[in-house]
Amino acid sequence: MDLQSNLQPELGKLEQIVSQFLLKSLHIILDSRVPSLRSHDRSGDLSLGSQVRKSDKWFNLVLGDRPASLDNLNFWHRNVMDPMIIDVILVHQGSNSPSVAVGGSVETVIERWVVQYEYPRVVAAQTGESSANYKKTYKKSIILLRALYSQMRLLPAYRIFRQLSTSSRTYNFDIIYKVSSFSDPFSRAEEGMMEEHSFPAVEAYPGRLCISVTYRTTLSDFNLEPSTSMPPKIITDYVGSPNTDPLRSFPSSEKGVSATSFPLRGVQAPAPVPLQRPHSWTSGFHRAAFSAQNQPFVGSPPAYYPSPMPYDYPSPPAYYPSSMPYDYPTPPTDIRGNRVQHYRVPTHQKAISYDDYQLSPPFSPSPSPSSPSYISNAYPMQTRVRSETAPVSIPLPMQSRSFRYLSPNSSDPNRSSLPPLSPRSRKTDPSSQESPSGITYFRKIESLRSGEMQPVTANHYTGQKVTRDSKDDSGRFSGLLSSSGSPRIGFSRSSSRLSFQDELDDIDFSYPFDVDDVDTSDFHASQNLDGKKASEFTSQSSPIGRKSQDAAVGELVRMLRTAPPLRQDPSCYSSHSMKTELEGGVATASGFFMPRKTGDALEELRSYREMKDLLLSKSGRVISKEEA
Amino acid sequence: MNCEVCQLKDLEVEHFEIREVLRCILHTIVFHRALGLVRPKDIDLELFDVTYVQCGDVELEKKIDEKIEHFISWVEKHPNKKSQICLSFYEVKNKQPYWFTNKIERLYWEQWYINLNVAQHPKAHSSKSHNSKVVVDPGEEERIARRTAVEASLREVLFQIIKFVNEKKDHVPPIPNSDGVVYFPHEITIPSSSDSAFGMDMIKRMLQTGHPTMLS
Repeated sequence: MDLQSNLQPELGKLEQIVSQFLLKSLHIILDSRVPSLRSHDRSGDLSLGSQVRKSDKWFNLVLGDRPASLDNLNFWHRNVMDPMIIDVILVHQGSNSPSVAVGGSVETVIERWVVQYEYPRVVAAQTGESSANYKKTYKKSIILLRALYSQMRLLPAYRIFRQLSTSSRTYNFDIIYKVSSFSDPFSRAEEGMMEEHSFPAVEAYPGRLCISVTYRTTLSDFNLEPSTSMPPKIITDYVGSPNTDPLRSFPSSEKGVSATSFPLRGVQAPAPVPLQRPHSWTSGFHRAAFSAQNQPFVGSPPAYYPSPMPYDYPSPPAYYPSSMPYDYPTPPTDIRGNRVQHYRVPTHQKAISYDDYQLSPPFSPSPSPSSPSYISNAYPMQTRVRSETAPVSIPLPMQSRSFRYLSPNSSDPNRSSLPPLSPRSRKTDPSSQESPSGITYFRKIESLRSGEMQPVTANHYTGQKVTRDSKDDSGRFSGLLSSSGSPRIGFSRSSSRLSFQDELDDIDFSYPFDVDDVDTSDFHASQNLDGKKASEFTSQSSPIGRKSQDAAVGELVRMLRTAPPLRQDPSCYSSHSMKTELEGGVATASGFFMPRKTGDALEELRSYREMKDLLLSKSGRVISKEEA
Repeated sequence: MNCEVCQLKDLEVEHFEIREVLRCILHTIVFHRALGLVRPKDIDLELFDVTYVQCGDVELEKKIDEKIEHFISWVEKHPNKKSQICLSFYEVKNKQPYWFTNKIERLYWEQWYINLNVAQHPKAHSSKSHNSKVVVDPGEEERIARRTAVEASLREVLFQIIKFVNEKKDHVPPIPNSDGVVYFPHEITIPSSSDSAFGMDMIKRMLQTGHPTMLS
């Protein structure tokens, strides 16, 4: 400002007041509108005894720590003359809004705040005393900011902000913001729905501080509601169910990111994912997680999944007038995979509940060292299983994997409460009657299982289950995959084992493909291997899709056969059993969906027996874990 | 300086709503006038979908609650009357001791009048007993409509406060320099037990805040 030199100190103070005023008003506005910025815990901030930062004492209004993103806006200091336009944007799904539609979701500006230091072109001569002008300005701006603070709570947008920020549910909308020094004017239609309110300006000689807002008077025409999340329940027709999209493609290992439609049973039609804006990410990863489950394709922004810290992400404020404020990085594929998985979690009965999942990723009550990776492992495994490895009756890999999944309960805190096997034993009994020839074997297994040989029997059971599964439509993994969230590898067989399946559903079964946090690196290695193999599968879960996936199955089989031994005697479970299965089954949908004949069953029995022996020998370590 | 007076819109409230409504209004006013260091505290009303801001000062809360209790007991003694609560801000001036002004003088620079019509319907009591399911259905609808109306009025009052607070700022005295939470001294007056006494209070106040020339 070019004024007389005797006013310099005053001007300096005034400029400081103005710039702080801008910052403070921005802080107030964002704090009351953008949930993501409030994610830091403020409960402790407002105690009288706590220390108040000097910067927070401005205008005698303590708001708590300023989000890191706001600090990036100190560029406002450079030119306090520019208006600061803050758009509060509602990201929602909607077709009736004329706003820009991105990725299925619509952004609508519901409030536009303009904070500005108006500097007149012609500076009126200062009348009266000038010395304490800035003091008066300061006092009045305090009042103005208080009024702003109160007003924020009286406007319609505050309600939805509260919904987002306080509720633990997830919603199908989000609030983000954009700060710039200019803005596109509203369209006629939009203007018609908005009202304007201006606060009386505060004299700040030679200019004045103004705040005004243009806001939507009603938000009822938006369809804002909690996103329907799948309640934890058993999904009997899990991956590979005939009802699922047979042409669904599972993310392959190469890309890791692809549109995948998972069976969304009981889930509402996919809701558009909230825009993955850097600053909207921090609004709570769980929210995105839930939205993910509603989407057929994995587009959710789980990038912050690994770390729930709100400010870990690229700083949001899009104060570049020309750039879109919502450039978001591509979500990490594996995380997305996890995300995709996430919605499936509840499909496993007693699976890790949503709440558990919602907890920060580091959450893992499991004592096992691999617990932090448990989540990331388990779910990817699930992904793989569901999406790729669906029905795979591979004694060899199963055997190798079964160890991995042997101790699901012990390591999985969520499953630890569930009896490992006995319930299953019991439950499988009646159902076993339904299966044809293999049932006798199954019963035998069960009798074994009912004893202490739980881990072993688990394996056998899983093996058996694999067989059983195969009989069922491949999609029947939900039951098999226990609440531990073990990936279910369904061995689809022609004969359906529905009732059996259902009973298994209730059992917390250490499925062979339980991707629990088995502590051994071997398990992980085998997991990874399986995952890799799995990733090469296309959807095999659906019997309908079987026929279309022979090639994939064959590929899998080949891969498994040629896979390096996974810590186990390679001699055991030679692929011959698989071969035999394949021979008969390749003609049909997948090698594993072959009609069961006695011969097949016997061969399977043999292979399982071998597996059992192997597992028994190795189960010592696992058992101990499981018992834990 | 002159004393700015603000008469807030009339509010029709039921007995059980008094506490919340008064708390909301009084705290909102004080929040805008307590210009010391403040940690705002958002408070949601239970009866209405309104959020107001408190200063976060326990002492102030106690004081306000006390006054509200006084008011409620007064209202119970004088049912179905239009009542008024006055929140006044004053400056403490130590005047030269004159023949009748030995004491510390108060210069009121702002006064807020909260006008309440407390309706005491028989139904009000039944609603207080939380037997909402037992209540007659048409009464329920009426109550809901009434509640919505009260909420709208309350919001209007709050807007009114904010507007008034912003429009008239010149009369606000300079903030005393001190650390911590600082308020302008204020007092809350409720009508006393008799109307005439209430009138006397008004006259007394007028004398105190009258033109300085009168007193000097």
